[in-house]
Amino acid sequence: MLFVPKVLLILAISCVYGLFVGAMPGLTATMAAALLIPFTFFMDPVPALASIVAMSAMAIFAGDIPAALVRIPGTPSSAAYTQDSFELTKQGQGEMVLGVDVVFSVIGGLIGAIILMVSAPLLAEVAMTFTTFEFFWLAALGLSATVMVSRGSQVKGALAMILGLFLSTIGVDITLGFPRFTFGSVELLNGVNFIPAMIGLFGLSEVIRNVMEPHIAYPIAKVRAGKIFYGMTALVKKYKLNITRSSLLGTFIGILPGAGADIAAWLAYAVSKRGSKEPEKYGTGSIEAIVDAGTANNACLAGAWVPAMVFGIPGDSITAIVIGVLFMKGLRPGPMIFERSPEMVYAVYFSFILANLLMIPFGYLAIKTSAQMLRVPKKILMPAILMFCMVGSFAINNSLFDVGMMLVMGIIGFFLEANGFPVAPVVLGLVLGPILEKNFMMSMIKTEWDFLPFFYRPVSAILCTLTIIIWFFPFLAAFLERAKKKNQV
Amino acid sequence: MEKNDWIAGGIFIALGIGIFILTIPFPSLDKGHPGPALFPNILAALFIFFGLLLGLKAKKPSVDKPLENSTAAASIPKNIGNAFFILGIIAAFMVLESWLGFLLTSFFLLFLLMKKLGTSAWKSLTLSVLVTVFVYFLFYKILRVPLSPGFLSW
Repeated sequence: MLFVPKVLLILAISCVYGLFVGAMPGLTATMAAALLIPFTFFMDPVPALASIVAMSAMAIFAGDIPAALVRIPGTPSSAAYTQDSFELTKQGQGEMVLGVDVVFSVIGGLIGAIILMVSAPLLAEVAMTFTTFEFFWLAALGLSATVMVSRGSQVKGALAMILGLFLSTIGVDITLGFPRFTFGSVELLNGVNFIPAMIGLFGLSEVIRNVMEPHIAYPIAKVRAGKIFYGMTALVKKYKLNITRSSLLGTFIGILPGAGADIAAWLAYAVSKRGSKEPEKYGTGSIEAIVDAGTANNACLAGAWVPAMVFGIPGDSITAIVIGVLFMKGLRPGPMIFERSPEMVYAVYFSFILANLLMIPFGYLAIKTSAQMLRVPKKILMPAILMFCMVGSFAINNSLFDVGMMLVMGIIGFFLEANGFPVAPVVLGLVLGPILEKNFMMSMIKTEWDFLPFFYRPVSAILCTLTIIIWFFPFLAAFLERAKKKNQV
Repeated sequence: MEKNDWIAGGIFIALGIGIFILTIPFPSLDKGHPGPALFPNILAALFIFFGLLLGLKAKKPSVDKPLENSTAAASIPKNIGNAFFILGIIAAFMVLESWLGFLLTSFFLLFLLMKKLGTSAWKSLTLSVLVTVFVYFLFYKILRVPLSPGFLSW
């Protein structure tokens, strides 16, 4: 079903869309996913999944282009190595930087895809034995991990997550069908409509932020696109250990719920610097830094689909959006998807392979046209994006109420980010809240309110222990830090 | 940022208290077991706990890395008018779309917004038409979304 002309055309358009959004500073891959959703809503599951996979792979790579040419990352996942990229471009090595961006993103993405293809079916076998108790702890673990890895303050990350969980309680409850927090609104009986909420949180909030920033015309470094692949074979041979390490690290970070490509890139950068023979070059033009971080952030994308497909627990914001969309289509990600809808599983696998292979010709074209793309002024782009936000929100239920929902969530998203609250935990709370509550209540009802099975079932006990460790990790870390300082004194 | 953290903490505490109050009339399950109110009440307690924690942390100097999108708390951004304009555009879309129809509403609002953001009149006019036609074609013709024709039936 993937290799039919219509689906391949959708894939190609999604690649171009992802490249454009990724290459534009101020637009993020998550925003691109949120804006793509109204279209995927009308598609069959296979092309819908293929389009999101292709778009995200391209967007994460394309963020490297403005990082190298104007010292502004196109997406947060390129921020870790923006300085190194730009410094090398200033030294006349822009072609090599962009070549590394393309080639090592492809390699990282392919390795991540292979790990996904191997590990997901194995984990699905294990997940088949899970009951409501295990799924409860899995959701709790996922939410806790999200808070722990959230950018900025963990307290703010926790509050953002709780806000998302609260929003998921709006509507009819699962035990008695009692309307909660609907204030008499018929539209809210079905809960917060996920798609307009995502468009508001990620799309509208970015538009508001962008129109408040003063317009800056930045000089764009010139590169010769025809020379970007020179010397890449030698670099691949030279950095094969870095590729292996960063691909594995990036994929593992992707598997962690809530940890996205930006965290993968930063961690890979830090690990690379620690293991490098030339750490002094980091920050002033290290190609090794770009190799490691660029490989990790693309590998991370496939990793995020492992928990999403196997457990229905999103690995990052993009897979959180995907899971929300699948729920709306009446599909349930989880171990049964491997038996009931294997075409969707294979669609994800082959989309990753195809998108990463297409990154070479498409990436070349993006680099060739980068100067023109980067000159599109925000004062034209933002109104167009706003129109897509409004019509996209309306299109789901043909309801202006959803446009209002988008507006409210956009304001919330803007104020959250402006005050240092990460938005990704809100999304995860919104997606995992129903899973958490449903599995808890079903467990309680079937055991007649006996809590013990949450702790004595072996897998539940392990997941519970991991969750508790994560809760207490910040206190433990602070205690050890204080003890270390005391010893030094 | 610290002052804003105080306010944010207070808002979350108030939200927690509000949730507790709103869940009072929620029914219970058989034998008095908690029902629809359980999960919201747990979240309310967490809102109050973390809201207090945020307020307490605001008293200490921050060691957390600020997010790259955070703005300085004390100063009002220069282009805040643009943000309010965006919100007004969305509200206007909600009011006008069913009456004027999508084509006219979209063209008019896009033109206004582009002009407000500093695009020249001719460019705004041309681009508003192009974007409106593109969005109309994509959503109405291809996705079959019933965009309102308005009183002119366009």
